[in-house]
Amino acid sequence: MSRRVLLHVGTPKTGTSYLQDVLHKNRARLLKQDVLYPAERFDAHFLAALDLMRLRWGGLEAEAVGAWDRLAAEVRAHDGTAIISHEILASASRSQVARALASLGHRPGGDTSDGGTEIHLILSVRDLVRQIPAEWQENVKHRARFGYGRFLELIQDPERAHRVGAWFWGVQEIPDILDRWGADIPPERVHLVTVPPSGGPPDLLWERFSTTFGLDGLDLKLTTRRANPSLGVPESALIRRINRTAARDLPPQHYRPLVRELLAHQTLSKRTKSARLGLPPDQYAWVHELTESWIAELARRGYDVVGDLEELRGAPAPAGKWVDPDHPPERQVSAAAVDAIKALLLDNAEAHAENERLRRKLEAARRELVRARTPRLMRSMEWTVQRLEGSGKGRQALEVYRKARKRVPPEES
Amino acid sequence: MSGRRRAWGWVAALRSGATTPWLEWPADGSGEGESLGAELPGAQQLALLRRLNAHAAATGRTVPTATAERVLAAGVSGRGRSELALVGVADAGEPGRFGPPPVDPDALADDELLRVASALIADDIAVVATRPVPEPSLADKVRAVRRPWVRSFVVVGMPWRADAVRAELTAQGHRPGGRRPTAYLLADDLETVLVQAWTARSFDQGGASWRGFVRANAGAGHLPPRADLARMARSAAYKYGADRVRVVLDDQLLADELGVPRLGGPPRLGAHAVDLVRRVGEPLGLLVSSDARPRLLRDTLGERLDGLGGPPPTLPPRWDGWLSTQAERTRHDLAAARYPVLGDLDRLLPRPLGPEPVAPVDAEVLALALGLLLDPVTVTKEAP
Repeated sequence: MSRRVLLHVGTPKTGTSYLQDVLHKNRARLLKQDVLYPAERFDAHFLAALDLMRLRWGGLEAEAVGAWDRLAAEVRAHDGTAIISHEILASASRSQVARALASLGHRPGGDTSDGGTEIHLILSVRDLVRQIPAEWQENVKHRARFGYGRFLELIQDPERAHRVGAWFWGVQEIPDILDRWGADIPPERVHLVTVPPSGGPPDLLWERFSTTFGLDGLDLKLTTRRANPSLGVPESALIRRINRTAARDLPPQHYRPLVRELLAHQTLSKRTKSARLGLPPDQYAWVHELTESWIAELARRGYDVVGDLEELRGAPAPAGKWVDPDHPPERQVSAAAVDAIKALLLDNAEAHAENERLRRKLEAARRELVRARTPRLMRSMEWTVQRLEGSGKGRQALEVYRKARKRVPPEES
Repeated sequence: MSGRRRAWGWVAALRSGATTPWLEWPADGSGEGESLGAELPGAQQLALLRRLNAHAAATGRTVPTATAERVLAAGVSGRGRSELALVGVADAGEPGRFGPPPVDPDALADDELLRVASALIADDIAVVATRPVPEPSLADKVRAVRRPWVRSFVVVGMPWRADAVRAELTAQGHRPGGRRPTAYLLADDLETVLVQAWTARSFDQGGASWRGFVRANAGAGHLPPRADLARMARSAAYKYGADRVRVVLDDQLLADELGVPRLGGPPRLGAHAVDLVRRVGEPLGLLVSSDARPRLLRDTLGERLDGLGGPPPTLPPRWDGWLSTQAERTRHDLAAARYPVLGDLDRLLPRPLGPEPVAPVDAEVLALALGLLLDPVTVTKEAP
């Protein structure tokens, strides 16, 4: 039975990909140091979360059948510290949370006296000023067709009746996430890791994660980096237009590698000079008011804060002109589109070359197969004819033979 | 008076079969009850149980306690709001100002209740999946052996129907297959073909609603692969030879040609029934492998909902022009390829439109779901 489980349940866009990449690539080293990160594949905890929450995810859920129970069984079987991390767990309902905690060996109130697991809940959090545009962009990279303005309307609907608003607050409303996940966990075992403001020391967030997860002093390789790169305004607008035109025709298994990976992550995210996506100036007031209420509530609850709750306030509205992704600078969108076309052409050329290589290989294999099935006598005759065709005397001899057998080569018939 | 105790009193009453709406539940203290758990069930679960009680009462039945417990403990499947709090429960000064606002459960849309019901029905089907599949009897095996004198044939075309026809013919000793077979392409008017394509998709993958399915294809200007008869015919011609493809637009002519009394067909599921299958398929996809899901849905919901769920859906009038164009194109392609036709090719053309378009209605889908919660697929219904 695991003595201690570090359960990291979110939130999205808080450096979780990098953390999970480090944990996954170092899982053998961690295990030698008694820390279990049970993930044979990089997305193992994502699949487990889909299974726990019964979420459909573009067909990936088919690979998730039974994934949570398998993960929980691995954790229970480990005698030491185990780590589970995925940001979509933030949206789990109370009943799903209860099932998850019970499956990990949690006892009511976090009681560990009778062998119950000591579960530490970790939530990494970032200010809404950055989270709101980042979430819209994430929606766009997942086939969304609605504009930024519509997204802002949906998340401000108090009823949260639309799935977009329900999801956004499900994974971003920090006090509510902690109400669901932390209701039965002592506050000192709830750890809030705040994401530092932009422009700070690049390793500060990792240092906070490292401290919270107890990784300080462990032998780890940190050279890997699996960032979830962000897009600028024209690039986001371009992907949204592509979604409006092509997403319906492109099944998820093709959309993911072509649009999300090739276009968004590998190509358009490299265009770093374009205007960055930000919160519209008229939205700062309600965001700040809401954030103040969160900070007050979180401070009152007495959680372990790694970082500073003040960082949740986010940056003030910038003095420069805000660029609206629903009305982007068209020249910049065109330039991004040309980059996208170039990337698709190169990718297509590579695919063509690969097709051609495979076609030749297939043809050679087919010839081999025919040869293997052709009787030896026939092969000897073919070989003899080829040799004779190669010399003048041979051709004469063949002609005599064919006349005698009343046969002519096909081209003369 | 405590809002929480009042809510627990209502929960206890619902467990005993009450149908009183939450807002009409006594607020004078007479309706209070003891806590039955750490957390109150969500508003969606409570609303579903009240509707289930009403559904059972309408036929003089009561909801078994175990079923009521299951509903109250159920999760909410898919994206959207998770368990919602009841309005009027939080006392002044209590925490609870975060999260979605509390709701009156009776004001929830049927779609919210269907998210809970679908998850419960999916659980039942997953239980069926764990049961061993009975071995076919010797008689079944003998019947399924291909008779040497039966002509070689295969059945292609509308997948939902073709699967059922193949099964029925096999049961009659006419197992498709053999050397150099004739390919019979099952066809119908294009609207029916589209409905069957959506039905097949709902069983196989779940996903799009009827309107979403039509919009995605008609909006993109093409037929979905499962409804593209001309493409299926080309594929059959490539595989079996163009001279061996026959288009079937009259079942009896094919039955006569094969020497069988009837072709059989798939269960007849109305628009609401197929929509329920689609919804259940989603949470079921996380309980069983994707290979097993279509068969399980066919064996459980396909049989149970046969003949239910109203009429088949029809295309919204805005897509009339698109449907006619596609039907004309299909007819032209099949005629130009000169495939022999059993029946009349004009039958491919759309039938006259009904007075009102038919589409799944959440309330009707929920009524079917309530029936399946009361008589779960885990319990085999006895033949009348």
